[in-house]
Amino acid sequence: MNKAPLDRLQEWSKQGHRTALGESLVMLGEKKPNMCTVTADLTPTARLTQFKEIFPERFFDVGIAEQNLIDFSAGMAKEGLLVFAVAMSAIVPMRCAEQMRVALGYMNLNVKVIGIEAGLRFGPLGNTHYAMDDIAVVRVIPNFTIITPSDPLQVYKALSAAAEHEGPVYIRLTGGPDFPILYPEDFDFQIGKAIEYREGSDIAFISSGSLLAEAINAAELLQSKGISARIIDMHTIKPLDTDMLDKVFSENSLVVTVEEHSSIGGLGSAVAEYKAGVANAPKQIMASLGDSFKKLGDHAFHLKDNGLTAPDLVALVEANL
Amino acid sequence: MVIKNTVESIQQKAAEMRRDVIEMGYAAGERGAHFGPALSSIEIVASLFFGIMHHDPGNPYMAERDRFVLSKGHACLSYYSALVEAGYISKEQMYTFKADNSFLAGHPSLNMDYGLEVSTGSLGNGFAIACGMAKAAKIKQEPHNVYCVVGDGECNEGLIWEAVMNAAKNKLDNLIAIVDRNGVQLAGKTSDIMDLDVEAAWKAFGWEVLVVKEGNDVTSMIEALEKMKKSSSGKPHVIIAHTVKGKGISFMEDSLNWHARAMGKEHYDQAVSDLDQAKQEENK
Repeated sequence: MNKAPLDRLQEWSKQGHRTALGESLVMLGEKKPNMCTVTADLTPTARLTQFKEIFPERFFDVGIAEQNLIDFSAGMAKEGLLVFAVAMSAIVPMRCAEQMRVALGYMNLNVKVIGIEAGLRFGPLGNTHYAMDDIAVVRVIPNFTIITPSDPLQVYKALSAAAEHEGPVYIRLTGGPDFPILYPEDFDFQIGKAIEYREGSDIAFISSGSLLAEAINAAELLQSKGISARIIDMHTIKPLDTDMLDKVFSENSLVVTVEEHSSIGGLGSAVAEYKAGVANAPKQIMASLGDSFKKLGDHAFHLKDNGLTAPDLVALVEANL
Repeated sequence: MVIKNTVESIQQKAAEMRRDVIEMGYAAGERGAHFGPALSSIEIVASLFFGIMHHDPGNPYMAERDRFVLSKGHACLSYYSALVEAGYISKEQMYTFKADNSFLAGHPSLNMDYGLEVSTGSLGNGFAIACGMAKAAKIKQEPHNVYCVVGDGECNEGLIWEAVMNAAKNKLDNLIAIVDRNGVQLAGKTSDIMDLDVEAAWKAFGWEVLVVKEGNDVTSMIEALEKMKKSSSGKPHVIIAHTVKGKGISFMEDSLNWHARAMGKEHYDQAVSDLDQAKQEENK
C-alpha cells in the first residue's frame, strides 16, 4: 500500500476512474483485514467484481436500496469495521442525505461513501444521472470530509488516505475514459492540504476533480499570452485548506474556481465563503455548472455548453483582468 | 422457562421505570415528552435489560455485551429509565431530561459512557443500523445478539423494508426485532393512518415472526424472547408485541392525546396516584 501503483496508471487513465476505484479497493482490502465493501447493485458498473471474487466474505450488495446502503454500512462501522460504500454520486448524497447526516455525520462513523460518475459524466443518460449537487449536500453535514480526486493516481491516494482517516468521508469521482494523468509520479497527498500544482504570479485557478486538467491547459494557453496562472489542486473540499487560500489571496490578483458542480454549495462557494472574511481579497470568478438542469450530451459537449473548456477559461480570465 | 423470581424482579423494575418516565417527563415541564410510546414499551425494554440481555453497567464498552437499539427513538424515556434502573445513568442525571446542555435529549444520542448505543429519532434508521451491527457480529464471529425495538407506526418507513429484506438475505439470526404494536401513531390510529398487516409483512420478507398478545406482560415477553434466542430457524427474528399506548396511566391509555405533550401538576398527581395504586395491588 505504501508503494504507489505507478504501473497501473496507463490502464486507469485509459479506462477511467471506475477501474482505478475497483483495483484500488482490492489493494486496500489486501492491506486491511477489517475493510469491507458494500454496494447497491453496482458490482460490475463500479468495477467491484474483482473485490467480490477475492474477498467474498467482505463484500456485500444490499440491492437497489441506497438508504439501507448507508445505514447497513453505518452499523458495520459502529462495530469497528472499515466500510467503503460505493454508489452513484447522482443518487447517493441527495437520496441518502439524511442517512449520511444521522448515521454517519452525527455518530462520526468510519464509513467512506464513494460516489462514482460525478458531474456530467453520465451525459447521455439525462438529468436524473447528473451529479451537480452532491458536494453541496454533503458539505452541510458536520464531521464529513469531502475529497474530489483529479487524476487516476489521486483516486488511489484519496482512497488510501480515507482508509487511514477516522470518520466519514465522501469521495467524489469524476474522470471517464481517457482520464488525464496529472501525477505520473508518486506524490505527497494529505487530506485538507491543497497542492500547488503550478506556480503563477498573476491569476490563480482553484480547481479539483477532472476539471483540474482543463485549468492546467488554460494556464498553458495563458502563458503564451503573457499571463502567469497559478494552479491549486484543491482536492479536499472539506476541510478547506485556508492556509493555501490565504497565500493565493495575498499573491494573485484574480481567483477563478473551476468545478463540475452547481455554482451553489460546491468548491466555488466554499472558497467564496472563506474569502468573505478576508480583507482586500481579490475578485473571484466561478466557472461551474451554474444553477440549471442541463441538456443531453456527452461530456465534451457539456464542457463546451457550460463554458468549462480550457479556451473558455482563458476567455473568462481575459474578460476579467 | 423463566423462574418466577426473575419475572417478579423484572416487573418491579418495570414499575420503577414507569415512575421514572413520569418523573422525567414532568421534569421537562413545558418541553413535554413522548409519554404514550415510552409507556407502551416499558415491559419490552425491561425484559431485555433485566431478563435477557448480557450487559454490564460497570463496563458499558464490554465487547461481548448484547447490543440494544431503540429505533423508535421518540420513546427514549423507556430507554433512559432502563439505564437509570440498571445504573448507567444516575437519578440526578435523570432529572436533566431535555434540559439545556443535558445529554438526555428528546431522542437518544450516541453516548457509550451511559449505555446509549446508537443515535436515533429519525424513524427507520435505527433498525437499518442495527442490521449492520448484527452483520458485523457475524463477520467478526462474535456471539452477542442485537435487539432492536421498532414502532408499529415506524413500519410505514420504506427504509424499514429495505433493511428487513437485507437482514433476511444475510440470515441475521443474531438479530431480534421487537415491534411495539401499540396501534397508535402521531396523528391517529395506525389502522387509520396506514393499515398494515405487520405480522404478514415481516413473514413475507422471510423473517421468523412471533406474536405476543400481551406485550405489557413480562412473563409473555420473556418467554417470547427466550424462544427467539433459542430458535434454530437461521432467520432474523421479530416479535410483534401487542401493547397499550400510555400503559399504566389511566388517562393516557390508548389515548390519541398523549403521544407527545407537556404534563401539568394535576396530571402528574393523577399519574403518580395511578402508579401507587398499581404498586399496592401488586403487593397484595
